[in-house]
Parts: sequence; structure tokens; C-alpha cells
Amino acid sequence: MTDADDSTDRHESSLPGFLGVIDTTISRIESFFLASGVLLMALNTVSNVVGRFVFQTSLFFSEELNRILIILITFAGISYAARHGRHIRMSAIYDALPSNVRKPLMIVITLVTALFMFGLCYYATTYIITQAERGRVLPALQIPVWLTLIWVPFGFFMTGVQYTLTAIKNMTSKDIYLSTSVLEGYDEDEIEI
Amino acid sequence: MAATIFLAMIALLLLGFPMMIPLIVGAFIGFFTMFGGLGQMETMVQQMMAGIRPASLIAVPMFIFAADIMTRGQSATRLIDLVMAFVGHVRGGLAVSTAAACTLFGAVSGSTQATVVAVGSPLRPRMLKAGYKDSFILALIVNASDIAFLIPPSIGMIIYGVVSNTSIAELFIAGIGPGLLILVLFSIYSYIYAVRNKVPTEERATWSERGRALLQALWPMGFPVIIIGGIYGGVFSPTEAAAACVLYALLLEVVIFRSISIAEVYQTAKSTGLITAVVFILVGAGAAFSWVISFAQVPQAILGGIGITEMGPIGVLFVISIAFFVGCMFVDPIVVILVLVPIFAPVVDAVGLDPVLVGTIITLQVAIGSATPPFGCDIFTAIAVFKRPYIEVIRGTPPFILILTGVAVALIFFPQIALFARDLAFR
Repeated sequence: MTDADDSTDRHESSLPGFLGVIDTTISRIESFFLASGVLLMALNTVSNVVGRFVFQTSLFFSEELNRILIILITFAGISYAARHGRHIRMSAIYDALPSNVRKPLMIVITLVTALFMFGLCYYATTYIITQAERGRVLPALQIPVWLTLIWVPFGFFMTGVQYTLTAIKNMTSKDIYLSTSVLEGYDEDEIEI
Repeated sequence: MAATIFLAMIALLLLGFPMMIPLIVGAFIGFFTMFGGLGQMETMVQQMMAGIRPASLIAVPMFIFAADIMTRGQSATRLIDLVMAFVGHVRGGLAVSTAAACTLFGAVSGSTQATVVAVGSPLRPRMLKAGYKDSFILALIVNASDIAFLIPPSIGMIIYGVVSNTSIAELFIAGIGPGLLILVLFSIYSYIYAVRNKVPTEERATWSERGRALLQALWPMGFPVIIIGGIYGGVFSPTEAAAACVLYALLLEVVIFRSISIAEVYQTAKSTGLITAVVFILVGAGAAFSWVISFAQVPQAILGGIGITEMGPIGVLFVISIAFFVGCMFVDPIVVILVLVPIFAPVVDAVGLDPVLVGTIITLQVAIGSATPPFGCDIFTAIAVFKRPYIEVIRGTPPFILILTGVAVALIFFPQIALFARDLAFR
């Protein structure tokens, strides 16, 4: 949980040129959203507890703010986790296969995953549009509900992009990659053969 | 439809897809066949959002954050030193200390992986030096870390509570009894092991050393007071207790011990966010999946087929136990809880079982299954953390699994092991 985190501090994209700059920037933004989302959530929840015990009043918007933050954390996080190969998977059988089977399998896994992510991105977008048309707002904060969901399609899209890039990387390079920056295996360092 | 869904999910899972995909595909097939096409996919997204909305789920990132801060700081080491000072000198003392430290750390963290890292990493070299076999040490660490599942706070119990609409506070308190029982039995086994293998005993700590260790551990001992005391006394809800833990952890590690810098707190928050996202996308996808299967009345079809309602409460508990045990031998516990709890919910309701008891039994089964070959996920945590081959990690597990299974059966016939403390606190 804590020992392997250091690799997630790297933001350098493996993409060439201008695309690389965009990718690196997105990675930094995701990482900032993740950390500040958790810190804000902690601040919000702690203030609510302190408020209740010390001042006998709860923050009226506390629950709604956490609801916004948890969506932000989840959907900024899924693409960040995809980028660093941190999604949970049952790899026992996969690991036992020979590498000439693992490589095409990994390409299939990443492409199918990407397909579903893009699909969910599409339906999340139409869902948000439906919400926007209904014009509902959060009762306490008076923020339109659709605005709090804006990260959802974006997160699915970026996750889809990450898995697509991983598929391409596996097709073009000799090694097998778990994500764009992580080689398979328990050693997280990138080793070029 | 149900057969297609489950076959597709199992296939995707075994092939090594990220675990959100089997859940998403399962839900997708359900929505597709039930509504004849892609027309209701928006509802699927809506259900995923609804899955991560419950306010009590906020306790998950907060407990992970608190545990992450403690693991990076000094709290874990201080707790280990305390246990060592008091029981290190008895026969098998190092092994008993390891089990006790896992339980104690379970009481502050709630995550098995965190416990394996925080307790296993420093104690394994010491046990090796003292003459324990590595297969015993690894099995002990993997299985004792699972006590953390049962001792509050427990991430698995929070997820179960949210999915099954059960009081998380009551689940937390009910987990203490079985957790302590397992600790006692593991300690007895460690003692027998040490006697039979003639492991030399450690030197007894002097009373001044003990006093110092106690003083050092006084601050970290505040965590169980906040969590168990706060919830037991009705002062905190589980989410509030989690928030209080975060505040306390920051206070300890940043202000008092000065073991973590502000920059590290930021890094810790990021790592917490990452773990949270990985878990919550599963919770969201699991919610969409469970909406589909309950809408299509899949549980009634499957469980009605084996005549589960005629089995009576004990029979139902055995079926549930076996299902969760087998599930966790292959898949991450959170996924198993998300998939199986909604399937069994109607039956639990129909035979009138106490959902808190069911939750405790499920949590115990989840703990056993996660440490059981072939694919229990804790085995892989241990392989990754200690860099030891698979066979070495699993060789010593049978006695532990036997003990845990014994406790599981005892819990079914004597529910008071779990419910005693709950009834004392809430009834």
C-alpha cells in the first residue's frame, strides 16, 4: 500500500512531442485533483465533527460537498490508476502463461477495457445532458447536479485513452506493459531490454 | 441470462482483466438483454453514480488516509514495540507478538495490506533470526493480518453495511469477539509450534523497558479508544470516527512525533485517493450489477433452485459461508461482497437472520478465503511485499486455515461470540 507508491510520483509521458506535453499536464492535473480531493474531504468531514461537538452545529453543506468530492476522486483516480497499472486484477493465471501468449492477451485486455470505458464515457455524457435538462440543483449548495458529475465522462474517457495507449505500446515494443509506464511483474521499475 | 452473465464474468476475471471490467460487462449484458439493446445504458451510469453516493462510504477513504499516515509515521512501530516488551519472552513469543501486533494494528487501520506491510515487514527478519521457519512466518503474517478484517475499523464491513443496509457501528462492535478469539487460538498454535520446533525464547524485557514502551505507545493507543470507544459509547458514527482518526493521525505524526512533513501528507493524500478510486469504481460497477440481478430476480432463480429457504437459518449460513469462502479464494474480497451480498439478501431476509451476524460471518469468510490458495489475494500481497515464491508463502497455511474454519463453524452455532458485545452496546 505504501511501498510501491513512489512510481506514481512520475508524470513524464511516454508519448512523443506535443502529445507528450498534453499527457504530462493531464497526469499532473489528475494527481492534484486526487490529493486535494482527499485533503478537502478530510477537512470537510473533520470540520463537521468538530462543529457538531464544539459548536453544536453541523455544516449544512458537508454531505453534499463530500458527494461532489467522492465523484471527483473516483473519476480522476481511475485514469490515474490506469496510467500507473494500479487497477486490481486477478493475474495468477495470466502470470503463469508464456510470454508469447501474455502479450496478445494483454493487448486484448487493454483494448476491450478501453472500449467499455469509451462506451461508458458516451452514456455518462448523455446522462449528464439529461440531468442538465431536468435542471435539478443540490438542496443545500444550490449547485446544478449535472455540474457535480462533470468528471464522470472525463474520467472514463481518460481511462479509455490510457488503455488504448497501453495496447499501442504493447504492439510497438518488445516488452509487455501493464500500463503506459509500468512493465508487468512485481518490479515497478521500467527496464529496457 | 444469469448463466451468460456469470460465465462471462468468470472468464474475464480469470483471464486477468481489471476487476471493474467483469462487473461492468455483467451489468452491461443484463441491461442489454433485459431492455433489448442499448436504450437503458444511461440507467446503468445512473446506478453506478448511486452506488458511490451513500454518505457512510466516506468512512472508507478517511480510514485509509488515517492508516496510510500511521504506516508512514511511527505509530505502527511503537505498537509493535509495546507488544514485544510484554509477550516477547514467552515461548513462541515473537509469533504471538506478531499475531497480537496484527490485531492491534487492525484496530487502527482496517486494511489487510497495510497490516502486512506495517507489521510483517519489521517482524519477519526478527522471527527468521530467532529460528522460525519462513513458511511458518509467512503463513502467520498473512493469516494474522486477516484479523484486521474483523477488528474495527474494517473496510469490508463498511462496504457490506452500505450494500446490505446494515448498521456499520453494530458490525464493527460484533467483529471484536471473533477477532480476539482468533488471536487467542493463533497464539496457542504459535506456542505449540515453538515448543515442538524448540525455538529459543527471547530475553525478557525489564519493567523499565516495558514502562518506556508503554509510554511510547500511549499516543497510538488513542486510535482504538476513538474508534471502539467512540462508536461503542455512541459518541461517533463510523464516518465521524474515521474523521476523528484522520485528525488524530495528523496530530500525532505531523505535530507530536514530527515523523511526517507537510509534503508527505500531500503524497499520502494522493496515494489514499488512488486506492479510494480503485475501490469506488468497483463499488459503482457493483451497484449497477446488483441492480440488474435484483431487477431480473436472479437471486430467487438461483437460490430457489437449490431450495435454500427450506434449509433453515443454520443451513443458509453454511451456504453463505461456503459461497464467500470459495469466492474469496479467487477474487478480491470487495468484489465478492459487492456481487454476493445482493444475491443472498432476499434469503437472509426470508429466514429472518440477523444481518449483523451474517455480516460478521461473511467478513470472517472473506478473511479466510483471502488467505487460502490458490488465489487468495493476501497471498499475492505477501509475495509482492516479501518477494518470496508462491509455494513458500502457502506451505505453512493449513493449520491456520483449520483454526479459522473452526472459528467460522463455532460462530454459526454460537452467534453470541459476535453478538454478545453488540447486544451489550446497542440493545
